[in-house]
Amino acid sequence: MSDQEDLDALAAEYALGCLDLDDMKAAERRLAEDPVFARAVAAWERRLTPLAATVAPIEPPVDLWERISAATEPPRDNVVPLRRVRFWQATTAGAMAIAASLAVFMVLRPPEPARVAILAPMAGGTPVLLATTERNGRLIVRPNGAISVPGDRDLELWALAKGETKPRSLGVLPAEGRQLVASLAPDTQLLVSLEPRGGSPTGQPTGPVLYGGTLTAVN
Amino acid sequence: MSGTACTTDDTAVLLQRCAHGDRGAFRALYERWGSRLHGIALRITRQPSLAADAMHDAFVQVWQQAHRFDVERGSAEAFLVSLVRYRALDIVRRTSREVPGHEPAEQEDDSPDALSRMVTSAEGAALQRCLERLEEDRRRVVVMAFVEGLSHGELAEKLRMPLGTVKSWIRRSLLSLRECLAS
Repeated sequence: MSDQEDLDALAAEYALGCLDLDDMKAAERRLAEDPVFARAVAAWERRLTPLAATVAPIEPPVDLWERISAATEPPRDNVVPLRRVRFWQATTAGAMAIAASLAVFMVLRPPEPARVAILAPMAGGTPVLLATTERNGRLIVRPNGAISVPGDRDLELWALAKGETKPRSLGVLPAEGRQLVASLAPDTQLLVSLEPRGGSPTGQPTGPVLYGGTLTAVN
Repeated sequence: MSGTACTTDDTAVLLQRCAHGDRGAFRALYERWGSRLHGIALRITRQPSLAADAMHDAFVQVWQQAHRFDVERGSAEAFLVSLVRYRALDIVRRTSREVPGHEPAEQEDDSPDALSRMVTSAEGAALQRCLERLEEDRRRVVVMAFVEGLSHGELAEKLRMPLGTVKSWIRRSLLSLRECLAS
């Protein structure tokens, strides 16, 4: 069997869902790295999806939407009074101001964030975004004031785990910030790149990485 | 929400709106697809709590990754169904079936009509036609693998067949499906 046929057979088995956990995980790693394999999987998903129509629909539990909604809701403006404390205007006092403001931040916003990343331009300069994680895995990313993004572009948020070479997309980042659920190891770097509208088409950053910072424990 | 008939195109539009942070579109997507996707997750996980977890994780992914849906190339239905199936498969591979002696509830629909439910789209009709060209026992293995999310090993055990036979049946069946669908 040729390599091409092997690749397509593996894509078919992955899309069918008959691989064991180890093979499934190996296929998912390949999916992220190999666009030819990813296209083969997508083609098999399209071929096989009509089979899903043979399964009878069953109403989900009534509280499911609440859970999903809570896990995906955007940050509320009145929760984090960043602008009121003028957190980012502290250009002269630098690190002291950041430390002091973080203390304010933690007092005002229980539950305490488990980790914080301050995202600054890669070339250095004033921090642009603040990311905090909570113990329930929620990640909140807040801008410092207005971020301007060209109309035909989107910002995309990435997580680069320590020791890894390829970042994982956390999705498009609206200029007003976002709240999402993500499992992030300590010392993960958060990066923001400029991408075509709707996000990177390749699964990896295609535009310049504008901002970055590392998640650090705060207590 | 309107009571109009739901088409895949509507779903593609909802996904695009989700990609731009439209919460109303996200809710509409859930209303429209929740029952179907939950049915699929429950069939694979066989446990309501695991099915709910799979749905939760999949919809969080839908919200975060809606921008990955390519309206030019992709099928919105395949995008949603695949997200839920992979989450359900991941959860079930890690949990329930490791329980020794776990005997899943029989809820299969082996009626000949089950496959005919696919014929709501041109793609479904083509897939049904091609599945019907497979020998019956091979077709059954492919359908069981997809619908119930059984692994090669679980299929071999359930059907009391050698693992190698199950693997080669599936490979050959998928190959002939691909050829048939391309013709």
